[in-house]
Amino acid sequence: MTRKSVLGEVREVQLAIQLIQLGARLQFLESEVGLSRERLIRLYKEIKGVSPPKGLLPFSTDWYMTWLANIHSSMFYNMYQFMKIHSDKEKVWILIKSYKLYLQQIAAQDSEPILDFTRAYTMVRFFDSDMLQLSTCCRCSGQFVAHAHDHKSGYVCVLCRPPSRAGKARGAKRAAAGEVAALGIEGMGFGVETAPGGTGLH
Amino acid sequence: MSVANGEISREIGDINLAYMLLAQKLVKQDRVAAMFRLGVSSELADMLASMSLAQIVKLAASNFLLCSFRLNEHASMSAVVGEGKDTMLQQAHMSILMSARSLQTRKTAVAA
Repeated sequence: MTRKSVLGEVREVQLAIQLIQLGARLQFLESEVGLSRERLIRLYKEIKGVSPPKGLLPFSTDWYMTWLANIHSSMFYNMYQFMKIHSDKEKVWILIKSYKLYLQQIAAQDSEPILDFTRAYTMVRFFDSDMLQLSTCCRCSGQFVAHAHDHKSGYVCVLCRPPSRAGKARGAKRAAAGEVAALGIEGMGFGVETAPGGTGLH
Repeated sequence: MSVANGEISREIGDINLAYMLLAQKLVKQDRVAAMFRLGVSSELADMLASMSLAQIVKLAASNFLLCSFRLNEHASMSAVVGEGKDTMLQQAHMSILMSARSLQTRKTAVAA
């Protein structure tokens, strides 16, 4: 670690503020920002007005496979990849940048963000650890988030072949939340770790 | 040149000018985000940012449109347009295809 400089510390605080405003969880802040846990908690309370949520980070890759979540995840990850290739900034910056772009895109579409910051970050980690991959749709040639090591040939994306009940469960976020809850794969508190082949959704 | 032709050229010139000015504004505001939105390389983005108004006006006055279709395959175009697809889904689909597209051109450029 470098020696403590006032400017460096200001930068860390600014980074923490940005991340908290985007909805980063405490676990993420602790790993990305060089401030003490106590200070992060105080910052969090000042910005959000409430204590940081406790509990585990989401840990199931299945969430990213449900219909609407997959569309949003694919949107975000494509942006993230673009930023990663075309900028030489550090990883946190790329994450913040692409998440903001995602929010802008959602605002332009007049809909609600389905993918929260923590999910976005977790997804990037899943990609890094080779648990998720991008599969190319054979109809529109777009790239979509999929389980790693899925057979790639003949893959058709969720937009070219939406599941039959997809259109009915509209109502943006509430419908998606309901769907996720109904499938019991929230993965926020406790739950079953992705059982191989067990909770396959499709 | 007929009158109709002159009118078309003027219309093309107007679009070119609007496009170039918008592109420059985007690049000056936020370079990487502009590259993402416009689908241009960093070299081109820098060039856009440094162009003078006179240069832009000169370049815009042309018989040719400076911007082109970015969905340049029939398959992806028809997948996005689709029958009865709602706006949100269409936008989402577009976003996914567009960001990957610029990556693809980049990749092939590196490979070549």
